[in-house]
Formats: sequence, C-alpha cells, structure tokens
Amino acid sequence: MDEKRASFEREALVHLDVLYRVALRLTGNGSDADDLVQEAMLKAYRAWDQYQQGTNAKAWLLTILRHAFINEYRRRARHPETTDIDAIEPFAVFSEIQDDDPQGAFFDRIVDDEVLRAIDELPEAFRETLVLSDVEGLSYQEIAGILEVPVGTVKSRLFRARQLLQGKLYDYAVGQGYIKGTPA
Amino acid sequence: MNCRECVEHLYEFLDRELTPELERQIRDHLEDCPPCGEQFDFEELFLKFLRARCRTQGAPAELKRRVLRELFGE
Ligand SMILES: [Zn+2]
Repeated sequence: MDEKRASFEREALVHLDVLYRVALRLTGNGSDADDLVQEAMLKAYRAWDQYQQGTNAKAWLLTILRHAFINEYRRRARHPETTDIDAIEPFAVFSEIQDDDPQGAFFDRIVDDEVLRAIDELPEAFRETLVLSDVEGLSYQEIAGILEVPVGTVKSRLFRARQLLQGKLYDYAVGQGYIKGTPA
Repeated sequence: MNCRECVEHLYEFLDRELTPELERQIRDHLEDCPPCGEQFDFEELFLKFLRARCRTQGAPAELKRRVLRELFGE
C-alpha cells in the first residue's frame, strides 16, 4: 500500500462517520448525504498533499464537505432558506419546567428520530453550528474556521440554536403529554 | 460574580471554552447558588442528551465500500 493511501486511511477515512452525520443534517436525506460524502472524500484525496499531516484532519474534511454542499447541493435544496434568523425569539425552556421537572426528565422520553427531526427544522445556519458543536464536539475556534464566521457569531448562533431546539422538544413533549405545560 | 454574569457564561462554561480563572469563578458561584446550579445542571443534561441521541448513526457500510472503490479502485 502506498504512503499517500496509508496516511489518508489513517487520518481521513476514520472520520467517515462524522462526515456522514453532518452530511445527513445538511442535505436532509440519505442518498444526497452519500453523494456529498463521496464527493468530499474524492476532493480531499486529490488535495491530500496540501493537508498538513498531524494537524486537524476532521476540521479540514468538514470544511471541504461544507464547500461541496454549498456549491452543489444548497442551490437545489427543496427548502431554500427564507427564515430571518435574527428575528427568531429564543424561548427559555428552563424557566417553564424548573418547578415541575427541573432535571429535564421529559427529555428521556423523546426518541432519536424526534430529536433529529427537530434539528432538521432549525434554520440552516443554526443547524450546522449546533451539529458541529453538540453532536460532533468541535470547539468554537474549529467551528468558526469551518463556517468562516467570527467566534462571537458561533457563540450567538449556538445559544439561539440550543434555545430554539429546546423549545421545539418542549412543545413536542407537551403535545405528547410527557410534561404538562403550555406550548411555546 | 453575580447570577447574571454567571448565567451569561453558561454555555461557554459547559463547552469548556473559558479561561481557567473564569471557570473557577463560575464554579465558586455555583457552589453557593442553588438556582444557578440547577440551571447549569439542566443545560448540561440537555447537551448530554443531545449528543447521545444524535451519534447513534454512522456511515452505511455500502458508503464505505463505495468510497474505497472510488478512491483506490477496489
Ligand atoms: Zn447565581
């Protein structure tokens, strides 16, 4: 096995699960996610000589994936972004539940698919920030680099994305009768 | 540090993005302030819940095969 292939397998291919999960949240369906990951991996392999080994392969790959998404998928997305994200009012779930369920036990009753569906409903700028941080565990600095925005923007998007998502899950839990309360 | 300042840094604290000094100040405040402590616990629990629910899925085996085929011709 040649050296390029060996190092690519060691440093890049190990992140395939991360790339797939992020691609799935960006595109919204499995078949586009497959194609997007395939495309990103191909671009990454071609550019592998430009990648500095031992640096941050995960962030580098996610940057490539996101560029590929913007260039080839976003413009034909079924739901083009129309939300004015600055106008979205966050809803403080904790203040609603602190008397009845301060430990957030209602979360335990919400299944994976419902959480993913709620994430998919977030405006794209919030969704990608939240997924990189809360699902994949990247730092503010890494996310700022991938999304090409200042760290302060990452912080404010993350704050609002989390509040918005909590609000959606809270509404769902109220609707299902998992918790009493008034929908946001 | 007062409650407002403490809550302002809530997510940065949970995300481990603060300087050690600020982190210590928050920890001190949380020890003496049950209401802030409860709020931080709730948000921490939410973030753990989120990660647990969203990381169960990985790349399908067929995609792995497809990538290897495309890249290395096998
Ligand atoms: Zn306090």
